[in-house]
Amino acid sequence: MDNPRFDELRELARRLGLDFFEVMFEVVPQDIMSEIAAYGLPTRAGHWSYGKVYNRQRVHGQMGLSKIYEIVLNNAPAYAFLLDTNSEIANLLVAAHVYAHCDFFKQNVYFAPTNRNMVNVAVEHALRIDEYIDRYGLDRVERVMDIAFAVDRHIDFHKGLVRKSYPTRQVIERERKIHTYADLFGEEELSLTKVVIGDHFPPHPEKDLLWFFAHYAPIEPWERDVLEIIREESYYFYPQFETKILNEGWATYWHAEILNQYPGLSPSETIDFSVLHAGVVNPGHPMSINPYYLGYHLLVDVERRWDKLYAAGKSPITGRQKLFEIRSQDNDLSFLANYLTQELADKLELFAYGYACEHGPQGTKKCQKCGELTVMSRKVEDVLHSLLAPRYNYGVPRIVITNVSDDGSLLLEHERNDRGPLDLKYTEKTLEYLHELWRKPIHLKTFNNPGEAITLTCTASGIEIMK
Amino acid sequence: MSDIPWDLRRRALKDSLRHDKRVKEAIRQNLKELIAEENIITSDGRKLVKIPLRYLDQYRFRFGQMGSGTGQGKGHVGEVIARDGERSEGIEQPGDQPGEQVYEAEISVEELTHMMLEDLALPWLEDKEAQQITTHTYNFDDVRRKGSMANLDKKRTLLENLKRHAAHKEPKVGAFRDADLRFKVWSVREEHHSNAAVYLLMDRSGSMTTERKYIAKSFFFWLVRFLKLKYHTVDMVFIAHDTEAQIVPEQDFFTISNSGGTMCSSAYRVALEHIQQYHPHARWNNYVFHFSDGDNWHDDNSHCKALVTQLLDHVAMIGYGEIHYQDESTFYGWGTSFNAAWSTLHTELSTIAHPRFNTVAIKQKADVYQALQTFLGGREGAGSLSESGHITPSA
Repeated sequence: MDNPRFDELRELARRLGLDFFEVMFEVVPQDIMSEIAAYGLPTRAGHWSYGKVYNRQRVHGQMGLSKIYEIVLNNAPAYAFLLDTNSEIANLLVAAHVYAHCDFFKQNVYFAPTNRNMVNVAVEHALRIDEYIDRYGLDRVERVMDIAFAVDRHIDFHKGLVRKSYPTRQVIERERKIHTYADLFGEEELSLTKVVIGDHFPPHPEKDLLWFFAHYAPIEPWERDVLEIIREESYYFYPQFETKILNEGWATYWHAEILNQYPGLSPSETIDFSVLHAGVVNPGHPMSINPYYLGYHLLVDVERRWDKLYAAGKSPITGRQKLFEIRSQDNDLSFLANYLTQELADKLELFAYGYACEHGPQGTKKCQKCGELTVMSRKVEDVLHSLLAPRYNYGVPRIVITNVSDDGSLLLEHERNDRGPLDLKYTEKTLEYLHELWRKPIHLKTFNNPGEAITLTCTASGIEIMK
Repeated sequence: MSDIPWDLRRRALKDSLRHDKRVKEAIRQNLKELIAEENIITSDGRKLVKIPLRYLDQYRFRFGQMGSGTGQGKGHVGEVIARDGERSEGIEQPGDQPGEQVYEAEISVEELTHMMLEDLALPWLEDKEAQQITTHTYNFDDVRRKGSMANLDKKRTLLENLKRHAAHKEPKVGAFRDADLRFKVWSVREEHHSNAAVYLLMDRSGSMTTERKYIAKSFFFWLVRFLKLKYHTVDMVFIAHDTEAQIVPEQDFFTISNSGGTMCSSAYRVALEHIQQYHPHARWNNYVFHFSDGDNWHDDNSHCKALVTQLLDHVAMIGYGEIHYQDESTFYGWGTSFNAAWSTLHTELSTIAHPRFNTVAIKQKADVYQALQTFLGGREGAGSLSESGHITPSA
């Protein structure tokens, strides 16, 4: 879209130190906005579940329950979509906001491994899936997609998208020094020891369930490909998940800064802008946290604190420089853990809430306090815990594959110190999905509500739970 | 900015259709449970009903409900900020609130009725006798060059205009001539209808609890809908009885207060008299359905049998449904079901060997479905159905 003021904002943003890919702006109607929001990546392969989200999103949009002003895709060039009913001032705010997001995409270390050509890659994925639908039928392809989506967040971001197969079992000889500092004493004798590698399968607890099933399950090549496609898209979205607060805070900080410095606003536009900005950073529902609100205030607070330190000669960098450092190095976990102070938590009136009694969420009342949610704590460490816990591990339970036994049965383990017990009904259904791929029995060790160890076993004849 | 014709790239519509299809499938798979869904049965006149579907979840490993989270605002530590079920929608704590996300599907009662019919494989109930009523229906099913301007077929006219211009190498819509005009024309079709009368008999004695009546109500609800698809008019006669029977208006039928003992024959007698007077067999397809808990006065049973046998000469079908379950828990299917003994009324009635007389036992909600199938689905294959004239579904 041609808006000369966008160009002015872009130049201003660059002058202020933001560094971003080219941004392609598209103005789209409400329905398309809902569609893009439902898909996340508008070019990716279709699936009925997007239809479900789209229907809800569209109805909400039409009823004015939720309005999406803008969506931006991490890509080079970046694509930004603006709602066609946005006012001029809303578009200016959004443009500045988008430039800052794109700076974050380009400069934040967690985004470094992401594919900047994802919009096109997703098109290729979609074409492949269309081809599979032609060949194998919609029902079969959808089924594999359903299964893949069930575990799409169980990836190992640190091992990366492209991985080698596990080593096969072999005995190798490895040199070993007689003792650690032998060379210092001139005793350079080495001894050879026999080491068995690849003896245990998998060689280490495997977190990347999608990769494991794509490589080791007895499935057809096209089914592997469907799993890999969904895995790749999941990798693409992971950095956005783990930087939600920081990324939104950064974009909000900068749209405020850029528009404040932008000389081209009329007085009435300045007022309209302030109203819009106040709406973006409103605290929201008392029982949830608006990432724009928290991220923005935390960044402003850090800037103030570091400016003070700098002025006192206690910091070599200014507040603004500190913010650029955070934008490059942090994700939500480190950003919150390192910079949220008790003072700010108090100022923002943050609290951790939970059930008042130890019975937790239960259908039947066991005591007077059952079912009551109360303010549990306002201490910063408790608030932090409540903020960070759901942001860990892509928000899903930590489940790893620990063993494949001789008869081919698979053992999954849910880590004992995870946030809480699993939703059993969902777990059973998910195990049934995985069993469709693995075809041999699957065991899952986990724990129930009182904390007793339980094992779920999924075989062709169904699910069994044993204590 | 590129001028992308957004309207041509509606892939979400495709996926939303796929989703709708899955909703339909989910409904189809769960008809048995939905059949007694309160939302539907009480939909009085509403065309669209909302039904909860718990089958469209996308399963994944997730935490059980923990109820913890972060909030902001006033409130001292320990202060209650919400109670279960009070949290408003729209809160999204990532991965934190599995909760009960029940998908509510919206569907028209008519469509649901068709699904039921398909699934139950109900025969289109046969016409019995002379088709005594003729009606005319008008269908616009042809297009001509002459006609009344009121019936102008605008779309076709536009197309003709466009075609004519295109033939002159000017592909546009231009000046209209008479030759462009197209009119919709109707034809008259004669339709013959036969009518049905349904006699709904229900025990209202003290032993018929609200739940039991509800079962009868769900059954009648669907029955009437099926019959309306087939017959031009469906007369419904509601007969409530304890020791005496009377014809009551529909709105009172299901809410009528409990009282007294039970004499089922009274209802059959009233039905018989009514049929003879108003719905003679020669012109009406009469259906009689009777719901009771079978707790009949013992010496009345033989009267019932005699009356049923007599009624069979006047009606297309008689169905007797006996509702008996121990308590609510077995009714909803989570208690231990017991094998209820048939009542003596049933024992008596079941000696009537007649292909047009059926009985069912209803022990739980899902059995309503079974009842419909037995009563309505069985007629085509009546021969194979029962040598003794009834079947007893194993619930």
